[in-house]
Amino acid sequence: MNPKRTMTLNLTDQEMVVLEELSVQKDLSKTALLRQALRLYQMVDARISRGEKLFFEDPDKQKAELMVL
Amino acid sequence: MKFNTDRKWLERRAAQEDRHFISVGGLISTLDPTCQMQASASIPIVETTKTAFVRLLQLTRRDRRLSLEKLAEKADVDLAELVKIENDESFMPGPRTVHQLASVLDLPAKKLMVLAGLLQAKDPSLQQASVRFAARSEPIGNISPEEHAALEEYVKFLNER
Amino acid sequence: MRQTIQIIDSQTGQPIDAEIFDEITLAHFIETQADWRPVVLEAARALAKDPKRATLIPSHFHWDWTRKEAELKMLALRFYGISCKARLQGIMKVDTVARSCRLPEQQGKPLVYIDYIEAAPWNIKQLMEPLGKRQQFRSVGTRLFEAAVLQSDEEGFKGRLGLHSLPGSEGFYIKECGMTPVGRDPHKQNLLWCEFTPEQAHRYLAGE
Repeated sequence: MNPKRTMTLNLTDQEMVVLEELSVQKDLSKTALLRQALRLYQMVDARISRGEKLFFEDPDKQKAELMVL
Repeated sequence: MKFNTDRKWLERRAAQEDRHFISVGGLISTLDPTCQMQASASIPIVETTKTAFVRLLQLTRRDRRLSLEKLAEKADVDLAELVKIENDESFMPGPRTVHQLASVLDLPAKKLMVLAGLLQAKDPSLQQASVRFAARSEPIGNISPEEHAALEEYVKFLNER
Repeated sequence: MRQTIQIIDSQTGQPIDAEIFDEITLAHFIETQADWRPVVLEAARALAKDPKRATLIPSHFHWDWTRKEAELKMLALRFYGISCKARLQGIMKVDTVARSCRLPEQQGKPLVYIDYIEAAPWNIKQLMEPLGKRQQFRSVGTRLFEAAVLQSDEEGFKGRLGLHSLPGSEGFYIKECGMTPVGRDPHKQNLLWCEFTPEQAHRYLAGE
């Protein structure tokens, strides 16, 4: 595996609560969860930069555009 | 990563793998037990360079901000044929069309003929360069700086040989 | 990542050292197009001639390798290769964000998704037999699949894995590997979505 570097992360109480809840829900460590978030962010950003658009579609098949990053 | 080092495990898994096509995606992705092949003579061998041909036309056209109509007019070719070339990779353009496009877009005509599948390729490095070029470009949207660089490099390569 | 592993040399029947790595470059992709494609085509022609094998024929060759260079920079993606005797013997692409678990008991949890996995055509028994040739190496696909499961463990996904199986491979992934068939995916040409739970993944690794 690639060598790792350490970073200190300062989060608000609310952010910490969300991070912990998501970790439990996804059965992931907090580090693994933030790593996933970073990967997703990079992927979405790359595609939007290429001109693609990101949509959510609700159960009634109505499309709503996700806020551009 | 801790791979299994047990010889028997490996042998057993290898035997299982040998009994099936395990590919997902990739070159053999479309192996379908229910499908029948048409005449084997029609296997397309030019697919790789053909994609590069279409991509080259698209990017050069976008780079010069030429609509399909404008290009058809300038090159004195049929608009319908141009639309087909850009949208249907299996479509084989006529030699005159390719020649005219080469002239208007400032590309080497003979090379373009090879890419389009109208002439036999003699240069094996053409295949590699074509794959590389197509891998770095998109068919639609604004031309990015990376695509521009890829296009310049590819055109330079085509002109050099 | 670069590691020595063993695959099986078909000629000798003995294990042989190979390298598995994830520093794939565009040159590797070009290699697969240039080197593998002609062999697959040759095998396809041979398959077409044999009425018994006529059903195992590629209907078309279309590999979406556009944008590969940009994909190589994505953290979410990992491209593996196995090389032996200075030649690429197999290649795999996995994605850690594209899909998540669909099995009810692990719904929404992250998994490693195998986007594609392929051994070089000269290593595939069913392609070499019609050509009257012996496959060169065995267990290449197995090692790639194993790497995907091991990565899932490393990521903290506990071995959870998913893929869309082709019709001809369903037996392999379900019966031999022990994955659960979840359902046909209308967004992916009705291919069968197969998934590993942590227990299944570890049973596979342990050889049960």
